[in-house]
Amino acid sequence: MEKELVAYIAKALVDEPDKVEVNMIEGEKSTILELKVSPNDIGKVIGKHGRIAKAVRTILSAAATKTGKRVVLEILD
Amino acid sequence: MVKEFEGRTEKEAIDKAVEELGLNRDEFDVEIVEAQKSGFLFKKGKVVIRVHVDDEDLPPEKKGPENDFEHAIVDFVENVIAKMGYPGTVSISFREDKKIGLRIDSEHSSILIGRKGKNLDAIQLLANVVAGKLTNDEMRVVIDSENYRSRREQNLIRMARKIGEQVRRTKGSRLLEPMNPFERRLIHTALNDFEDVDTKSEGEGLYKQVRIYYRGVDRDK
Repeated sequence: MEKELVAYIAKALVDEPDKVEVNMIEGEKSTILELKVSPNDIGKVIGKHGRIAKAVRTILSAAATKTGKRVVLEILD
Repeated sequence: MVKEFEGRTEKEAIDKAVEELGLNRDEFDVEIVEAQKSGFLFKKGKVVIRVHVDDEDLPPEKKGPENDFEHAIVDFVENVIAKMGYPGTVSISFREDKKIGLRIDSEHSSILIGRKGKNLDAIQLLANVVAGKLTNDEMRVVIDSENYRSRREQNLIRMARKIGEQVRRTKGSRLLEPMNPFERRLIHTALNDFEDVDTKSEGEGLYKQVRIYYRGVDRDK
C-alpha cells in the first residue's frame, strides 16, 4: 500500500531510518500522506530543486492509478 | 563464439541456429562444413553448418546480482515496484566500470514505464540516490524495461528525420515537445546531414524544446 511504499523509500534514502514516520489521512477522493523524517534528513527526501520529492510523488501517483484515488504527499518539517 | 548446427537442408540448419541463439539471420556468419544433397530414393540430405557469432551480438543474458551492492540495489527496485502494486523481477543487464544496468521484467511494465518513461525515470532517479549512498557516489544505475530506452531513441531519430523532410518541403519550421539534454542531442545529430535544415534549442531549464527550421541551401556557402 502507498503508506508502506513511502516509508520504504524514505528509509532507504535517509541516515536515520528509525525516525521515519508516515501518517495517512484518508479522505473520500484523496489520501494525504504525511512524511516525517529527522531534521538532518529533510534534504535527503526532498533533493536539489525537489527532484527526489518529485520522483517519489510520480511513483506514488503511478501506484495510485490502481485504486483510482488521488494521493498527496506532504513532507513535514 | 563458434557453434555447429545440423539439418536436412541448409535452411533447416540455419533456422535451428536462429532459434537457439535468439538472433536474426543477418547477425551471424554461416560456414558450410558438410553438405550431402538428398539423393535418389532413401538417401536423406544432411547439412552441417558452423556459425560464427560476435559475442557482442548475443542477446544479453539475465544475470543475478553478485555482490552486496548489486543485491541491495536489485532488492530496492524489486521492493519499490512490489509496494507500488506492480511486482516483477529485476536482473542485471550489463556491468560497466562505474555503471550497472538493471532490467525489470513485469507483466505491469507499461505502467512501470509510464508516459514518456516518466515512471521509469523516477524509479531510476531514486535507485541512483540509493546507489550513491551505498557506494559513495561511485556507481550509477540505468534501469530499463521492455527495451523502452533503446526503442525511444530509435523513435526519436525516426521522428526527427520525418519532420526534417516536412520542414524541407514546406520551408517552414516546427517546434518539438520538451526533451532532456540526451534526447535533444539525438535530434540535433539525426539532422546533421540535412544541409538545408537546421536545429536549435529554445527555452530554459533541463527540458528545452528543439526547433527544426528551414534555412535554405546556399546561405552558408
